[in-house]
Amino acid sequence: MANDAFEVVGTGLNVFESERVVEGPVRWLDSPADVLAFVGAGEAPTSIAISRGGTTTFMAPALASGVLGLITLAGAPESHLGILSREFNIPCVMSVAFTDGIQTDRGETIPADGTIVRLDVSGRPEGRVLKASA
Amino acid sequence: MSTANEEFTIEQVLAHYRGDPRYQRGVEGDKMFRETLATDALDLTEASVLKERLEPAEINDLLAYMGFNLWDFLGTRATEGESGLIPRQEYETLSMLDTWQRYPAFFRAITEEVGIDGVVELGAKVRREPGTKLNLLHIWCTAFAVLLGRGIAVELGLDKAEDRYDDVSDSLQFMRRLYLGAWEEAGEGMFAANRGYDLQVLDSAWTERLLSEETKLDDPERLSLQLRFNAGIELLSFLFHFDNRCGLADTGPYPVPGGGYLIVRDIFLREPVYSWNDACDGLPYCVTQGLVFRPDREVKVEMFDGSNIFTEPRNYLADLSGAATLVRDTPDSELRPIEAEEMERIASGAGEAVMRLYARIASMHRRDLILAGAQVYTTDFILPFARAAGMWDRFEKGDLDLFEMDPVTAQAYYALCKDGTAMEKMPMLQITGRGFMPVAGDG
Repeated sequence: MANDAFEVVGTGLNVFESERVVEGPVRWLDSPADVLAFVGAGEAPTSIAISRGGTTTFMAPALASGVLGLITLAGAPESHLGILSREFNIPCVMSVAFTDGIQTDRGETIPADGTIVRLDVSGRPEGRVLKASA
Repeated sequence: MSTANEEFTIEQVLAHYRGDPRYQRGVEGDKMFRETLATDALDLTEASVLKERLEPAEINDLLAYMGFNLWDFLGTRATEGESGLIPRQEYETLSMLDTWQRYPAFFRAITEEVGIDGVVELGAKVRREPGTKLNLLHIWCTAFAVLLGRGIAVELGLDKAEDRYDDVSDSLQFMRRLYLGAWEEAGEGMFAANRGYDLQVLDSAWTERLLSEETKLDDPERLSLQLRFNAGIELLSFLFHFDNRCGLADTGPYPVPGGGYLIVRDIFLREPVYSWNDACDGLPYCVTQGLVFRPDREVKVEMFDGSNIFTEPRNYLADLSGAATLVRDTPDSELRPIEAEEMERIASGAGEAVMRLYARIASMHRRDLILAGAQVYTTDFILPFARAAGMWDRFEKGDLDLFEMDPVTAQAYYALCKDGTAMEKMPMLQITGRGFMPVAGDG
């Protein structure tokens, strides 16, 4: 699907530049139990995970299971999660501010689970999250 | 997020140290900041490193520079927010306060045991062999942990900045003596930025050995194994050490004949002193990789005091061309080369250990997580020096009693960890230099 079929719904900091097209359903992971269930269900290789923080250990099973892409609401590319996503070659956009989506129980805006998004990680410092146009 | 100085936004404070446009990241910012210092305390002259006590002006220059250094190295990490698994800022503040309470006495005990020259000699071990935690990261952590702990103590009203002058001086001198040994010769600057973000510290005998044992990674499957192996064991190391980089250390970039560069990377997969070590049974203590890069593009390589690499462009692994891979099975055994079959076994075992450890950590209560993380910092920052000095028994089971907590730290747990104080204080201590307040002028 061409980029013009997508609209930008979030911008953040791209960890490393890649020409890969990363596209898939998002999944909000709010707790370690969510992470374990996500990995246990075999969703990781086809999904883009969203976490609140930018630390690496929270996402460890998802990284080890080859998650398709990562989005965080906080953190910088120099953080541990940034370093590990680089080592795993898993595209990652950090500190993303979304302009469209649903509200978490803490009032953060994120795309609803299952929303198909594309990560634009072709340049730095900015990385973009695009959503398939309705 | 507010800042120490409310006239600056968080973006300004992240872009320039204390929001001052003169102090940017990199060699230029380092140079500008160093020009503000009144003494040569950042330099490793033998006379100043070997003397018993630093002058107040020297201490204050070192403290001022440490604030800049921490911002340069860790400033942006301060934005990462909560972990969701491990309360890291809570355990960091708690353990650093504990190091302030206890480490100056440890530094004096080690110095008494081996002498000042012996401390310099401990630092020299950094050059002589990879695959031990006696590395540049752990040297950096000695005084930085203690003096950040001092900042926390002052913030909490437990100490005043003018208190415990000798503890500040002794901690700085312990770190400077180790750095003098590590860098071999007295000279300009201790820290990565002072040396152009270059950490070529290993003796050439080791870099030559690693290059001679290089396996070329022309075969895509073999390259894929090396990358998968490297990433998987790094992840385990972060998790094993409770989300910090005590288990990782890079040095370099060392030149490679014919072009390119070598990074020597140590990754520690377990540590027998921690009670969760059994989750990694069957895995070696440490993996050392000599990673050989032969880029056909312009790549800027920078090494930081945390013994970590950042490049421009960032995807440096795209240039990986060869690797030597060795393991150390226990802290006391020799490094030995391994082949692809054993790498597969270790990568697979590391993946299983990640799942075991994650499930165990996820089931722990918050207080247990904080105490376990604090134990990693408080132990790891002194462990390699105590081991190398032949004093570990005194720390583990003897009079130095490392695994007990100082009563002041125990009392501060509630102030730091129960109401979000740590989450609020730690990023600001890292970003603004506020944790490194000067000592009184008369010592």
